[in-house]
Amino acid sequence: MRAEAGVPLGRARFTELSLLVWVAAFAVTGFVAVLATETSSFSPTAAIVPAVFLTLMLALHVFLVGIRFRGDQILMPIAAGLTAIGLILVQRLASDLLLQQLSWSIIAAGAFAATILVPRDLTALARFKWTWALLGVLLLIAPLLPLIGREVNGARIWIKVGPGSIEPWEAVKILLVIFFAAYLEEYREVLSHTQRRIGPFPVPPVPYLVPIVAMWGIAMVVMVFEKDMGATVLFFGIFLAMLFLATGEAFYAILGLTLLILGGFAAYHLFGHVQTRVDTWIRPFDEDLRFDAGFQLVQGLFALANGGLLGAGLGNGMPDRIPVVWSDFVFDAFAEEAGLAGALALLALYLVFLYRGMLIALRAPTPFLQLLAAGLSFIVALQTLVIVGGNLRLIPLTGITLPFVAYGGSSLVTNWMLVGLLLRVSQVSERMRGGGAP
Amino acid sequence: MTSPIAANIRSLTFTLALAFLVTSIGAAYWTILASDQLANDPFNPRLIAATSSRPRGAIVDRNGAPLATSEKTDSGFARSYRDRTLAQVVGYASTKYGLSGIEAAYADSLIGQDPADPVSIWKARYFGDRAPAGQVMLGIDLKIQKAAADALGGRKGAIVALDPRTGAILASVSVPSYDPNPVVDPSKQDAAFEQLNHDQNRPLLNRVAQGLYPPGSIFKVITGAAALESGFDATKKLRVDDPYQADKSWGDYFVRSASHAHGLFDMADGFRLSENIYFAQVGLTIGAAKLTEYAKRFGVGATPSLDLPAAKGQVSETGSIDRPTLLADTSYGQGELLVSPLQMALIYATIANGGVMPTAHYATEVRDAEGHVVRSIAPGPIGQVISPGTAKTLSAMLVGAVEGQGGFAFGARIPGVQVAGKTGTAENRPGQAPHGWFVGFAPAENPTVVVAVIVENTPEGGVTAAPLGAQVMRAALGK
Amino acid sequence: MEITFAVLLWGVRIAFLVLLYLFLIRVFGSLQRALATENAVAARPTGLAHLVVQRTVRGAPRLGDRLPLRAVNALGRDAGNDIVINDEAASARHALVEFADGEWWVEDAGSTNGTVVNGEIVRSRERLQYGDELAIGRVALRLEQ
Repeated sequence: MRAEAGVPLGRARFTELSLLVWVAAFAVTGFVAVLATETSSFSPTAAIVPAVFLTLMLALHVFLVGIRFRGDQILMPIAAGLTAIGLILVQRLASDLLLQQLSWSIIAAGAFAATILVPRDLTALARFKWTWALLGVLLLIAPLLPLIGREVNGARIWIKVGPGSIEPWEAVKILLVIFFAAYLEEYREVLSHTQRRIGPFPVPPVPYLVPIVAMWGIAMVVMVFEKDMGATVLFFGIFLAMLFLATGEAFYAILGLTLLILGGFAAYHLFGHVQTRVDTWIRPFDEDLRFDAGFQLVQGLFALANGGLLGAGLGNGMPDRIPVVWSDFVFDAFAEEAGLAGALALLALYLVFLYRGMLIALRAPTPFLQLLAAGLSFIVALQTLVIVGGNLRLIPLTGITLPFVAYGGSSLVTNWMLVGLLLRVSQVSERMRGGGAP
Repeated sequence: MTSPIAANIRSLTFTLALAFLVTSIGAAYWTILASDQLANDPFNPRLIAATSSRPRGAIVDRNGAPLATSEKTDSGFARSYRDRTLAQVVGYASTKYGLSGIEAAYADSLIGQDPADPVSIWKARYFGDRAPAGQVMLGIDLKIQKAAADALGGRKGAIVALDPRTGAILASVSVPSYDPNPVVDPSKQDAAFEQLNHDQNRPLLNRVAQGLYPPGSIFKVITGAAALESGFDATKKLRVDDPYQADKSWGDYFVRSASHAHGLFDMADGFRLSENIYFAQVGLTIGAAKLTEYAKRFGVGATPSLDLPAAKGQVSETGSIDRPTLLADTSYGQGELLVSPLQMALIYATIANGGVMPTAHYATEVRDAEGHVVRSIAPGPIGQVISPGTAKTLSAMLVGAVEGQGGFAFGARIPGVQVAGKTGTAENRPGQAPHGWFVGFAPAENPTVVVAVIVENTPEGGVTAAPLGAQVMRAALGK
Repeated sequence: MEITFAVLLWGVRIAFLVLLYLFLIRVFGSLQRALATENAVAARPTGLAHLVVQRTVRGAPRLGDRLPLRAVNALGRDAGNDIVINDEAASARHALVEFADGEWWVEDAGSTNGTVVNGEIVRSRERLQYGDELAIGRVALRLEQ
């Protein structure tokens, strides 16, 4: 541990490197534990995976040092640590998908590096806000198109890209944040400086609200058509959060939440798949649900119960009894094998990620960058809370993934790009203030 | 001026941090607080997996005779059940339909992880080293069980025999029963289970502990006990005239005597000739509060402690007796009373046991694979319900009911043995034949067995039940 | 042999948890240090901003002067202030201008005639952006880089 004097430390990103060493330590340990219990199908590929991954992370670090990147040193190791846990769990739960996840990790690292280098000026992002909005809408609609769209498990959110498929809505959430941040920076004064009030309620200046409500509305409607409850909740949350961040009007937040609950009631009665999800959440152990729609959740809860404090041990539980566990229920699987201790550590990592992201937002010099950083951090936090909440039966289950950890290429790539963007914002702050890198 | 973004960021972060806290509490709930209940859910694949790849422990009777065993087949281990009459007690262990009965209650012990042996639990959980399962021994004696099953035959009802000194259940028959072997056979289980669930006669129900019936005259011991302990003089003769009504406010409701009696009766006569009007008057004298208190002391209206599921009876619909006509009715065993055969056996066991109610239990021991006793199941008595003096007095009067002149329970006599007991003919739904009860113990001077018999819907009532009780007691006493 | 392997395996599993927690603790520690350095940085005299005099009276700071700002600056008539505003309409201790959390702030220190920013009276603690005009008495100052 170095005692820093509060002076810029210069080129070597020591903190980042030392944190990566810790990541390497527990990643290797985790892999060894998981591989040691798979007595039947030991393949040399499995042993190579951690080596490749760690080399990849080291390469990213060297890349950052090489371009003399001055900015946050904590977010990238956290992302690396979470991705490592993800790889360990994929090996444990769906080893045939391991190479795929590793490939996606490499692509994600590339995307991260690209985000660091391009665009040259972050604020330029704000100027193209309508472009992003349009691109976002196109990407959202794409899965509904006949040729390239695909339906999987009742949700039509995929598009075919070459040999594989991606979920474009993952990218859209970032585009949405950029759009909202840019738009709200311009109009935040107008939106919150509400002159007219009816009783205690501020009357929002409607014309200025129209573009963002329209953007949001399109996202919601499309999501309803594509039958993805999780993405709908996420977009709704992003919209409300960005609005609140920009204006500080609690009224918007409360109104929004009320609309969400009302919409939820309507959805329950209108849409069969929503009804199933909510019923399963309320009474999963009932005779008619527990072997059918509620089977996945019930198995997830069994896994949690088996976890106890220290877990059944990596490789020692039975998380594979949960259907599609590698993408929907990784949290429960991790909690079964690493116990409450492991689960809390995992949640803590996301919380620290959130804090670091918000700190970067606080120190950003312009409102656009503040809103951007805060919005991006919010995405990760909300996504985590929604999926873990579903896994823990705190809220109905949705199909979104646990960032970095769950199996899923598009999610991994977009989340690493998100980290890249956050790092870029912190770089701007460092430059403007001439402050020391932590 | 508009509020600074910084402040908004702080509020939002705070809210999110709160949400994370709630999530952590949720995680703690499922991994720690709710974990036991989920771990023992019969459909938890972990519990099931721990069972099918290795032989499950055997369930045996008190002499070691096998009741349920794991037989090796080509595809692992299959459960085999030897005695149909114990189907509801022993239960079944199905990978698809879960566990029931002793298979469920002692599930951990049957996979070699009895709670009394934490080392084996640790080894299994953390090292995957599962101890070979031993066996669970029940208090059932197959000899007595057979006698009880033969006695009841095909008639719907239940018979339970237990040792009043320890509470161990010696025989437990519930008719109709079923063959549990198809339920655990993967090729037959779906059809078997479907049929069992839809059978109107409910063969899956353990009538011994879970069947609730009006007691009829066998309840009179409670009325008698309450009276004796309130200072009521049992030797005082009361005037009995059939039919009986306390006053005109009863309208057209009367208490009727089974033998249309007219005369003077004391308590011994009341028991011997099962005189409803006598006990109605006793009940009215001691009052509703006293009667309810003693009913509750004897466990009526509470779930008896048992290692299998048991039903809770009732003193009345509301739990208290609020009108004199109901008091009169309850005093001789009708009214709104509901009891299980097990509960009645425990009540009479209390009388047999000097006023101390034992705790009933099916299982007596858990042993490991080498035969060493891992855990001895011998729960202590529930407590002193009535004084030894009262118990002795009641016991003597119950002997009179069997052995005495004109005793209604004469069918339960055993040559050479003093038998104490009481019959009951319990009216249930109008238009249906009454239930026939007999509850008794022997030998009266030092009882070693208590038997409760109920035959559903039999016109002769208690007269039918009494000889069945005798048959079981003879088997228990070796006569 | 079997048991040793099982024990070793358990050792690895526990090691995983321990290392994970150590990583978490290190991350948290780094976060704390980042916070401390960044706060220290913010407290330094910035050399980042100046108050440029837009309007003045005789004796007060000269028109067009670029007054350098420290992290915390007291403004008022009293000679002990960081920036002395020699106007009778200004109170002895009139206002506070400080740099905190990456922002510039102005706060009225209980003056008689009030502190005005961009034509509006400052009620409590307000953000001061580059280009804003701060009026103390009859002297106007603009915040610039």
